[in-house]
Amino acid sequence: MSAPSVDEVDPATGPPGPPAVIQRSEWRSRLTRFDMKYAPYFMIAPFFIVFGFFGLFPLLYNGVVSLQRYRLDDESSNGWTGLDNYSLLFSDSEFWMALRNTFGLFLFSSMPQMLAALFLAAALNRQLRARTLLRMGVLLPYITPIAATAVIFNQIFAKEYGLVNALLGWMGKESRQDWGADTWSSWLALIVQIDWRWTGYWAVIFLAAMQSISKDLYEAATVDGAGPWRQFWQITVPMIRPAIVFAMVMTTIGGLQLFTEPLLFGDNVANAYGGSLHQFETISLYIYRTGWLEYDLGYAAAMSWALFVIIVVVAGINAALTNRIGGRK
Amino acid sequence: MTSRNRWIRTAALGAACAVLLTACGGGSDEASDEVVTLKVNDWGNFGLKELITEYEKANPKIKIVENVGDYDKQHQDLAKFLVAGSGAPDISAIDEGKVEQFRNMSAKFTNLMDLGAGDFKDKYLEWKWNQTLSADGKTQIGLGTDVGGMAMCYRADLFKSAGLPTDPDKVSALWPTWEKFIETGKQYQAGIKDPKKNFVDSASNILNPVLSQQATQYFSEDNKLAMDQGPKAAWDIATQFIDQKLSANLTAFSKDWDAAFKTGRFATLTCPAWMMAYIQGKSPEGAGKWNIAAIPGGSGNWGGSFWTIPKQGKHQEEAYAFIKWLVQPEQQIKIFNEIGNLPSQPALYEDPALLDAKSAYFSGAETGKIFTKAAKELKPQYFAPKNGEVRVAVESVLVAVQQGKLNAASGWSKAVENAQKIADKS
Repeated sequence: MSAPSVDEVDPATGPPGPPAVIQRSEWRSRLTRFDMKYAPYFMIAPFFIVFGFFGLFPLLYNGVVSLQRYRLDDESSNGWTGLDNYSLLFSDSEFWMALRNTFGLFLFSSMPQMLAALFLAAALNRQLRARTLLRMGVLLPYITPIAATAVIFNQIFAKEYGLVNALLGWMGKESRQDWGADTWSSWLALIVQIDWRWTGYWAVIFLAAMQSISKDLYEAATVDGAGPWRQFWQITVPMIRPAIVFAMVMTTIGGLQLFTEPLLFGDNVANAYGGSLHQFETISLYIYRTGWLEYDLGYAAAMSWALFVIIVVVAGINAALTNRIGGRK
Repeated sequence: MTSRNRWIRTAALGAACAVLLTACGGGSDEASDEVVTLKVNDWGNFGLKELITEYEKANPKIKIVENVGDYDKQHQDLAKFLVAGSGAPDISAIDEGKVEQFRNMSAKFTNLMDLGAGDFKDKYLEWKWNQTLSADGKTQIGLGTDVGGMAMCYRADLFKSAGLPTDPDKVSALWPTWEKFIETGKQYQAGIKDPKKNFVDSASNILNPVLSQQATQYFSEDNKLAMDQGPKAAWDIATQFIDQKLSANLTAFSKDWDAAFKTGRFATLTCPAWMMAYIQGKSPEGAGKWNIAAIPGGSGNWGGSFWTIPKQGKHQEEAYAFIKWLVQPEQQIKIFNEIGNLPSQPALYEDPALLDAKSAYFSGAETGKIFTKAAKELKPQYFAPKNGEVRVAVESVLVAVQQGKLNAASGWSKAVENAQKIADKS
């Protein structure tokens, strides 16, 4: 050890008298500086450590797995295969079918969902009786567990004893529609279910944004002779643009990962087929089945990475497009 | 000093993380004089409920926890546990349809030969014993529970309404072959005059039993896909039920299928022995309405399971003692009498306790005679590792035919295409 510097003298056992006081205060000021400089990093560290373990590591390891033949049921044949899994993607018609379904369900569910949420928010933004009750009420579908919602909707759209078929029969149109059988009908049933869940949630987000719009703008517009419809599109929507961009990005991410609804809509949940001919199979569902039911983790990992890239690209495009609503600032 | 402080803080943070991480681990070794808990994973109904109580009473140091799950999910989970090296139960049931896949992983199971299972070799049906035996004959991963010898369950009350005979012998005489069975179906539809009451539940519950009567399943013994043999014959018979409007076109084992038991939506259901437990579970009010006749087309085996002991378990000897007790004749007969699962040890087929068994639920049908006869005539089939996966794919296309999206011919080419895709992936 080198000769002890003043710094390293322990304040508790250090020489008594005035120098100690000076040292102590100096030590404290260093501590304070240290606190100012580094403490924030320690405070945010838990998130990054947890994210590293459960977010980043799996993401990267997934990339490693995607370059291997990695089968759970036949370990002897596992090993590096380079980009084989990725080239298989391009020739796998089921993957493209799942991609089509994922995008179709995303587009046809998010458009009506966003519009309905906007109108609902505008309606809730008025002076209504029992306003708080109504505002909280639209959140109810969101706080219901998806599995519970799915059970109800499966009853509603059941072929044999379903509510929709019963209503059609009651209206004089004898119906034995098997809602899971055709592409259009299965998508319709799923879209109703997805929008039921999310419309209220986004309406509350939009409502919060709308409440921060200054009343002056509406008063001025009224004076200038703009009707409610015009005010909605020319004032309300442009003013809450950040909220809409946020909603679009989040809906893209969630919509392209659609999993639980199509899984539970299937006749045989344990097989995760997404319909007899995969008519409502999404990519997430296909990844799950490939990895955990057919034990082909390598190919499932490759599809996961492909989905990751697709989501990043589409969310970016979506954010850029939505940003143009109502012109640039 | 700054550096020392940083070091201390980093160390403290690290320690905190370590504590957090290890807290999730846990698990303690039990001392030998403590109660041993054995976890058992299975599905459906293995008839264990009362036997567990009995065993625990005789062995106060053993506690048995049965976890009844979904058929597919239990097998999927077991595969994950075996690869992960932890999480598997002490005892796991495996079905015949999935057994080949697990036999490939025999290193992850306790070799029951080491625990004395060799004594059972001559007691089991030879093919049942061989299904869980490794290729070199040295490793036995499972002890058989039941076999799925088949019969035909039918609703005597609906048969009566349709003007068909109701006595089991006369009913059996109606359909020596599947062609005759289809003829009977047409008579049933003509007699019942209700489009919401069909002869059979679903085409897939015809496909599977007919396939089990063929020489091969989906693969030949060299693991080559053999769709144009057994599977084609089964497909052609199964799709006739759709074309002739004899099928309720339900998806087997779905919720609609469950609900249909209560409404008399279908009048017959192909019955491997284990299906009796299903029917009684789904439709308690059907007691006295159901009866059992012979199945058309001769005998075949559909399903049947094994008990296995994953190697990662800590109580292999206790686990073996329990399954050894379970497969003893007394327990096997109790299970048969309670829920109908048919033992896989042929000596029992001569046992009066089994032979004379009758089922009150199935209108006093002589289940003992019917199913022992079926079991004795069984011809074993070869199950390739991917057989289960192909079965699911073909059944799914058959559902599409039921839905009217494909016809029998275009459905068949689609089924072959999907099966080929699965076979090529390996």
